Amino acid sequence: MKPLLQLKNVRKDIGKKTIIHDLSLEVFAGEVFGFLGPNGAGKTTTIRMIVGLMGMTSGEVLINGISIKKDFEKAIQHVGAIVENPEMYKFLTGYQNLLHYARMAKGVTKERIDEVVKLVGLEKRIHDKVKTYSLGMRQRLGLAQALLHKPSLLILDEPTNGLDPAGIREIRDYLRKLAKQEGLAVIVSSHLLSEMEMMCDRFAIIQHGRLVGIESVQELSKQAQKVLITVEPVEQALSIIKRAYSSINMKPTNQGIEVSIDYEEIPRLNAMLVSEHVKVYGIQTMTKSLEERFLEMTGGNEIA
Amino acid sequence: MPSIISLIQNENMKIYRRISTWFMIGLLALATLAGALITKATHKEQQNWKAGVASEIQTLKEQLSDEKLPKMYKNHLEQQLKINEYRLEHDIRPVPSNSFWGYMVNSADMIQLITLFTIIVAAGSIASEFSWGTIKLLLIRPASRSKILLSKYAATLLFAFCMLLLLLMFSSIISAIVFGIDHIRTPYLAYQNGNVVETNMLFHVIRVYGLNCATLVMMTTFAFMISAIFRNSSLAIGLAIFLMFVGTEVTALLAMKFKWAKYLLFANTDLLRYIDGVPLVKGMTMSFSILMLFVYFIVFNSFTWLIFRKRDIAA
Repeated sequence: MKPLLQLKNVRKDIGKKTIIHDLSLEVFAGEVFGFLGPNGAGKTTTIRMIVGLMGMTSGEVLINGISIKKDFEKAIQHVGAIVENPEMYKFLTGYQNLLHYARMAKGVTKERIDEVVKLVGLEKRIHDKVKTYSLGMRQRLGLAQALLHKPSLLILDEPTNGLDPAGIREIRDYLRKLAKQEGLAVIVSSHLLSEMEMMCDRFAIIQHGRLVGIESVQELSKQAQKVLITVEPVEQALSIIKRAYSSINMKPTNQGIEVSIDYEEIPRLNAMLVSEHVKVYGIQTMTKSLEERFLEMTGGNEIA
Repeated sequence: MPSIISLIQNENMKIYRRISTWFMIGLLALATLAGALITKATHKEQQNWKAGVASEIQTLKEQLSDEKLPKMYKNHLEQQLKINEYRLEHDIRPVPSNSFWGYMVNSADMIQLITLFTIIVAAGSIASEFSWGTIKLLLIRPASRSKILLSKYAATLLFAFCMLLLLLMFSSIISAIVFGIDHIRTPYLAYQNGNVVETNMLFHVIRVYGLNCATLVMMTTFAFMISAIFRNSSLAIGLAIFLMFVGTEVTALLAMKFKWAKYLLFANTDLLRYIDGVPLVKGMTMSFSILMLFVYFIVFNSFTWLIFRKRDIAA
């Protein structure tokens, strides 16, 4: 499959300091791709270079195979983006803001504007001035301007910032739908691991301007992870587990037993406990594994 | 790719949907009205204009008898003399400032106010996009930066043009109401190729307006450049206004001592002096000044363009 977005050895120097070191990655249609990294890691700089707001010192960004450096206008027309906060013209209404961006794209009709407004759920307030909007509403308007021209690559910097839990869920579901059903490539950036895990198919971990690794969420969740087992009696369960897995890492806690175990082994462990007449009240994977993996890869949360 | 027209439409929306713009228009109308009322209240009616012109002729003749008079200045005085003699001969009254045309011509001074407003609009056009953070969403559209810059510049000049038309409209209406239109047929006396000719007064007013626009265009372009370089509208407004008021004075001082002063911007912005005045430095002509203005215009705009096109947007 042809990648929708290609970064080839992208490098950015500011003065003598190298901000981004030879970053290469590919994003395909139909996937939600995450940029994960601590503050100051270079996520936003990378996004700025992808959309042509910043020049590259060397390397190349290709969108649909078109170089953003050599043919900006052609490459950018398939991109919709929010870079950092969705800043809008506050003295204009939401609708006038959308009209402004509609005039700058090809073939965006009035009907399309209405459609997008409905999609992001701003019908009631779209003719109010943006200065009266809450952060969540601005985020929605930001999403609307990014979707106006039906882009094939959607780039959202911290898209859930300022949204309430219901809004976060709505956006998350919507982004997944855009990727799966409409075949968009979606790039999101975040420093929140849990969010990445729920939203993305794959994500790149960036630290100190370097690509630390690209992980697939699916694969990651199949790796060894911590499981919390709520059982009774605890003593019996402990000895059963010890017998079955000699070198296992486990720890009894107030809630139950924390066990580090491979994803595939969970059903077997359960069957074993049940057959020995241990009462199993719950088996819960602890999402911590991703966080630990992240910390392991980045070596803590230090800022460059 | 969006057409330049829709980009200008966008810029216009951003100018005219703001209250401050309408405040400026209101202020211009108010200033025009106030100017007319002050003129009416303070102007002393001249009883016998013929006697006044005659005494002026006397003074001019005395001045002309001075042998050491510079040639340039002498020409100017001779023109004045011929025009005044023509007046007496053909019974054409000089236009007093409390008449319809008199105030129309004087209203050209309000162009300074328009210059101030246009500088504010020009400076905000680029710098505000940075301070609002909207520059990011503006520059990730299929429109090149050059095109966006051009649309901003065009919308700014369009604003200035609208303000000039409004001033012309305001002052003609206010002038007609306050001073009446009794002397509307008075011609303007111009000096052409050694002869005094009667020309249309409206044409003269428009020409005065036009020649007053040199400073307007140059300072707007300057403010536009500063705002593109420093992304700070206050700095651009402050610097442009400071230069506008101090530049003329300093240039005049320099021109008394140094010949090279004629290459300075402000030595060339007052084009009106080639019509009824004396050049700042001997040997300067209207075409020289227009050429110099053109050079400055190109330099300012090139800087703006080079910087805006290459800049990393980190706002």
